[in-house]
Amino acid sequence: MTYRAGNLVSVTQTLLLGIPLTLALGACTDDGGSEDDEVGDTGTTEEDTTDETETADDTETGTAEEETETTGEPDPNFPLCTCEDFPDAGTCYAVPAGDAEALLIAANSMEDGDALVMGLGHTELDNQVTIRADGISVCGQGMGEEGDFEQGTTLDFLPQMSQSNGIDIVGDDIVVRDLAIVDAKKDGLRIEDSTGVTIQRVRVTWRNESDSNNGAYGIYPVKVTQVLIEDSAAYNSSDAGIYVGQCAHAIVRNNVAMGNVAGIEIENTQYADVYGNLAEDNTGGLLIFDLPGNPIIGHDVAIHDNMIIANNRVNFAPGGTVKQIPPGTGTFTLASRRVEIYDNVYTDNGTGDIAILSGLVIEGDPAAWGLSMDELVGDIEGVELPTEGDTVFNYETNNIWVHGNEHSGGGTNPFLSTPDQELGVLLALLYASDLPIDSVLYDTIGESSFHTTDPAENSNDNHICMGDNPGGSFASLYVEVNSMTMGATTDDLFQPEAPYTPFDCDAFSMGPIVPPDM
Amino acid sequence: MTRTRTKRGSLLPGPGPLPGIGLWAVALSSASILSSSACVDDGEEQGDEAADEVGTDESETDTDTTSDTETDTGEDPGCEFQGIDPELGPPEFLSQMCLMDWDGQDFLYEDNVQRYELNTPLFSDFALKERAIYVPPGETVEYRDNEVFEFPVGTVILKSFYFPADLREPELDRDLIETRVLVRFPEEWKTYPYVWDHDLGDAVYTVQGEIRPVEFIGPDGIERTASYLIPQKNQCLKCHEIKDEADETVVTPIGPRARHLNRDQDFGAGPVNQLSHYAEQGWLTGVPALDQVPSAWDMRELADKPVAEMSHEEVTVAARDYLDINCAYCHNPRGVNGISSQLFLNWDNEDTFHLGYCKKPGSAGKGGEDREYDIVPGDAEASILVYRTETLELGAMMPEFGRSLVHEDGILLLRAWIDGLPPDDCEAEGEPDPPPP
Repeated sequence: MTYRAGNLVSVTQTLLLGIPLTLALGACTDDGGSEDDEVGDTGTTEEDTTDETETADDTETGTAEEETETTGEPDPNFPLCTCEDFPDAGTCYAVPAGDAEALLIAANSMEDGDALVMGLGHTELDNQVTIRADGISVCGQGMGEEGDFEQGTTLDFLPQMSQSNGIDIVGDDIVVRDLAIVDAKKDGLRIEDSTGVTIQRVRVTWRNESDSNNGAYGIYPVKVTQVLIEDSAAYNSSDAGIYVGQCAHAIVRNNVAMGNVAGIEIENTQYADVYGNLAEDNTGGLLIFDLPGNPIIGHDVAIHDNMIIANNRVNFAPGGTVKQIPPGTGTFTLASRRVEIYDNVYTDNGTGDIAILSGLVIEGDPAAWGLSMDELVGDIEGVELPTEGDTVFNYETNNIWVHGNEHSGGGTNPFLSTPDQELGVLLALLYASDLPIDSVLYDTIGESSFHTTDPAENSNDNHICMGDNPGGSFASLYVEVNSMTMGATTDDLFQPEAPYTPFDCDAFSMGPIVPPDM
Repeated sequence: MTRTRTKRGSLLPGPGPLPGIGLWAVALSSASILSSSACVDDGEEQGDEAADEVGTDESETDTDTTSDTETDTGEDPGCEFQGIDPELGPPEFLSQMCLMDWDGQDFLYEDNVQRYELNTPLFSDFALKERAIYVPPGETVEYRDNEVFEFPVGTVILKSFYFPADLREPELDRDLIETRVLVRFPEEWKTYPYVWDHDLGDAVYTVQGEIRPVEFIGPDGIERTASYLIPQKNQCLKCHEIKDEADETVVTPIGPRARHLNRDQDFGAGPVNQLSHYAEQGWLTGVPALDQVPSAWDMRELADKPVAEMSHEEVTVAARDYLDINCAYCHNPRGVNGISSQLFLNWDNEDTFHLGYCKKPGSAGKGGEDREYDIVPGDAEASILVYRTETLELGAMMPEFGRSLVHEDGILLLRAWIDGLPPDDCEAEGEPDPPPP
């Protein structure tokens, strides 16, 4: 599993290995003295198995650098994941819990193809675990259960002195599994600029609930192509628990997000399949959106078979775009296109279960959403976007299909919003005497015609499709006018009965959602 | 899952590959021998033999290096830098590189190592910095107008961080903390951090970093304690990583660009322009007439002309250069760690949205209560950029690394610049027209 391909290095190595350079190492490590003891410490957890270093080790016996591999008796400190799980790894670093320095040495020594195995127990760190290599695996002995900050393999960043993340990785072909990250100052697990990321059974949490000092993102793959997040969990983040940002080809399944401002976010992401997740007790449950200025335009997102329950937590974000999420939000899809939301269960979200919103709701200046064609990342296959010459704009929301979701108990308590959450306040005012709020809301922005009662007078230019949603109802809010009208009520909305004509389409205009290519 | 495996850092544009490699390989071969020769005093015969063998074979590299420097560093005869084998990694001790030493008060360099200074330095908790570069004998560095210079394979950049007990007397009582080493390999730059151990009298290769409380008296006479970050090896990349033209992630130096190097330094015979001096020495090529060379604001000028006395034009130049060196290593369109912010603070960015004017922050960060935009022109107090560069709140601070204290001079500058911009309350003028009823 070493990817040291590349002609240049090969040439160098060939020349190098042609001479007895290993003697040099042997010589230097022999000259004894207190210096060597210190140096030896830094290598105690190291187990060199790469071809190159093995050559060196031939003459280097007797130094403290090799960890003896125990075979036979299972090590109680490594009950779940051991170096034996990575037979192809170049070097596997096994680090027992509690030794932060050894862990940081290992992390910073990892080369392409290496593995890092962390022992059972609790490790306090004052700085992040930083890894920069391709083809690496990181595993612990279990993610433990929420409420416990000692179980499994727990990396505890409470003593963090520098502002940094928990685990911070840049590299291709990354696996991280079976560990917990607590109280990271910024993001819990951040994996950036990568192709091929697998995150399994990772729990990221902060000790304090609803604390705006908590770190921003729990599990955060950003600018990743091909990412799988499964069986993982995120709690109490002051921004998003699970945040898939600027990615292409993502599967997010069977995860839990609780106590966050935003439970799960799919941001500026193309080809995402999000299913089997539980988003409960966040401010907003599961959100799909583009932000202005990011060069990857989100599209082809499927949200299905998730449980989105009682996301009524008061918004405790310290600022930023998430500060605008109204408490009681189940899902919104904003500045997005080709999003299919189906077969989910929405229960007890106090403000609304699903909102379909233009990006202009959060950034009213269309120019801010302009992207020049040649700076785009990813593709815009089958996507309808406003353009102006070489500039493409992604504020518009179109081709959204909502069907088969079960709604119950939602929209009954929209009163937790503050002025930071304008939409929440607006809904509370509009529906004040006529609760519950409809379970699926459309802001009507960008429609050429609106009428409060006559379906024929309502356009569906954005191709918003409402299927049958048990227990659900629909309203077109006409936000631009009703938000400016004192005393507007539900009489000023368009609230059609099923089949919700003219929003009764049942397909995207440019073909079905394209699944992620993993 | 299909995965493409790309080798990171493979495509630095550089000198023609073949000659470069050949020479480098030779240098590397000698390097490993050299470390053995440094140890031969202990009686390692084989190492001795090997050294002799290669010493005769590789006369080219040997003769180019001067040998009158041993007394400077106190190293064994024959201690000369010969390169680092990327696979075996750097030597355990900085002295083994044979490039620099520290006598407890001053920095000592080998003859082929040149000091350099920057016009506007990065703020690192008030640490003073000593910068030097080694270019392999016979090799040259190519001047570039705006990018980092083109360095030959084998180049080593040494940056040492130290605190005088009192910054008002920077020559006295210096505590040298670390020396960060950047080495140019055929495919990429690599980072090697060394931490000084003054009991040993040497710096030790240290990948795990450290957060160390450092007490000192600031330039204003006020006592401070920094939680000084000695970065982990991989944390070096937090600032030194960019996307190259082929969109590969590569490591790069930050400072050695024309605009930052274009200044005087006293090399012993009175102040001379650094670029001219290096060109005269023969290792920097392509330097145009000095009036054609861009120049960044010289932060030392603050001593004579405080921000309050600067015109808005001067403040603008100074603030943009301050942002450039302190922020733009991430916040530029090729900055691996900053691109997702879409906030680009490189000095030559002319797009006001990406410069932060009325720009809401994207997917990151804590902006401070009630602040909505990165920069509110005319209103520093309302600008997130000011909040984040000023605050000491972990999780909100910018730059992300290397600052645990407030840089008052820098903040003054940024505030003056933003306050002096034509005011804009950032209320969107482009609200969409409501659809016809």
